[in-house]
Amino acid sequence: MRANRRDLLLFSAIAVSIPLIVILLIRFTPVPPAEEVEFAMEAISRAEKDRADTYSKRLYTEAKAYYDSAMANWQMQNTRFIYFRDYERVLMFATMSIEKAELAAESSISSTSSFEVRVKQKIDTLNELVSKINKLFTTYPLTPETRNRISNGKMLLKEAEIIYRKGQYLQANMKITDSEYLLTNSYENATSNLKDYFKSYSVWKNWVTKTINDSRKNRNYSIIIDKFSRKCIVYQNGNKKFEFTAELGKNWVGDKRVKGDKATPEGMYKVTKKIDGRSTKYYKALLIDYPNDEDKEKFKKEIVQGSLPTSAKIGNLIEIHGNGGKGIDWTDGCIALTDREMDSVFKYAKVGTPVTIVGSMVEFENIVNR
Amino acid sequence: MKNKVLMGLAAITMVAFLSSCGKVPQEKVDATNAAIAAAQTAEAAVYVPVEFAAVQDSMKAINAAIEVQNSKLFKKFGPITIKLDETLAAANKVAADAAVKKEEVKKEVEGLMTGIKAVLEENTGLMKKAPRGKEGAAVLEQIKTETATIEASVVEAQAMYDKGAYMDALNKVKAANDRAVGINTELKEAIAKVRR
Repeated sequence: MRANRRDLLLFSAIAVSIPLIVILLIRFTPVPPAEEVEFAMEAISRAEKDRADTYSKRLYTEAKAYYDSAMANWQMQNTRFIYFRDYERVLMFATMSIEKAELAAESSISSTSSFEVRVKQKIDTLNELVSKINKLFTTYPLTPETRNRISNGKMLLKEAEIIYRKGQYLQANMKITDSEYLLTNSYENATSNLKDYFKSYSVWKNWVTKTINDSRKNRNYSIIIDKFSRKCIVYQNGNKKFEFTAELGKNWVGDKRVKGDKATPEGMYKVTKKIDGRSTKYYKALLIDYPNDEDKEKFKKEIVQGSLPTSAKIGNLIEIHGNGGKGIDWTDGCIALTDREMDSVFKYAKVGTPVTIVGSMVEFENIVNR
Repeated sequence: MKNKVLMGLAAITMVAFLSSCGKVPQEKVDATNAAIAAAQTAEAAVYVPVEFAAVQDSMKAINAAIEVQNSKLFKKFGPITIKLDETLAAANKVAADAAVKKEEVKKEVEGLMTGIKAVLEENTGLMKKAPRGKEGAAVLEQIKTETATIEASVVEAQAMYDKGAYMDALNKVKAANDRAVGINTELKEAIAKVRR
């Protein structure tokens, strides 16, 4: 009986002490910083969503490295005997990971939005440059190399736009940098070439002023052809009466030098003959006195200087005629208008009406900056 | 004797109690990691980036949860096993979705390649019909140069396609297509103007 009571007592003591020991064991088990590690993971995930891996690479990489260190340290601590574990460094790495990830996300958001704006601005600026190039040089004869560079620049710009629309601003920016180099460089070269074309501008300006003044003084009609702007302007008593689009010779840049060069001459001329009906295949035509004395003198000088072969012949039969409106420069050196426009010009022009042909009525700087 | 038996039972119970409750489901962890690696190989990061990132996040959470259990006196891996099953399934789905998306992009590139070749061919025909004055003129020269650039871009896109870089090929061929269509419109307008 006594022995039974002792066994019961012992059994009860064991039954009570086991949960007690378990409770004590649990109570003194080191607690890992699970919450902080979870926060760190979430912060990195948010930073990734904010594209910190691209736009705030350094901070993002640091955040990831701290997170990996936290995990590695945690795993290492877990291999030790449970009561010898120390999670201090795990907590430290997790906290640093959170800080870096938050900074990375913040920095990425601000640089992404400013980067996006910058890339968009660059795209817009380059598109404006392309428009300018198209406007200035589509019909202007550039070297094949320049054309090639412009074409490649345009293609890269198009690719950049497509990539930009996908939100890949960094890649878009790389394309833009290449495109910008090609386009800007080509534009500068072409502009310098165009500047050469305008070297006679002061002479052209004098011709234009004299033509308009004479029209005013003599109270008559006169015609001015602006080759660069493709304009045919009719003046009456010094005032602009009509303005039409003119089509020129295929090689319109520069003065006419020789027969068959398909260039439109530059100079002060007069109408020598009015032609219509079956006498012209171009609807109606105004023949001008090209070559005049100045042209003949210049031609002879070129022969003497050897810049033209002795077999070269000076051109002739330069007219303002109809059959135009093709939207291209197609004549052999003449100036073409639509038949309807030709009717107007033909009506007011007579033999002796001044026809002044200039490279441009507008200054180079104004053309480039307009 | 009876006491010793009782003491022994109590000790065994305690040891069993203390060391109880499971091991890391390592096989499942390995299988899930392998599935994620397979998804990565299937270029899930390129074709289904959001879904792939979600799977990676899920695996990171599982690794943390495993360490949480490893830190405990009494481990419980049941919920982690369930999560691993879900993540494994998600990784497999992501890999499959990436393959589908890749195929879609591939088909899109193929379609654009065929389309652009047709447009370029049409452009060649249109250039012959273009006004005679264009021959030798700056405009025609520009169109020829641009056509050469487009053709070079198509060759580059084809090389990317052959290497399996369909997304890069798509960007390139799209740009080339836009330019080719632009020239096509320009030529048609020029021809129409002359016919007027």
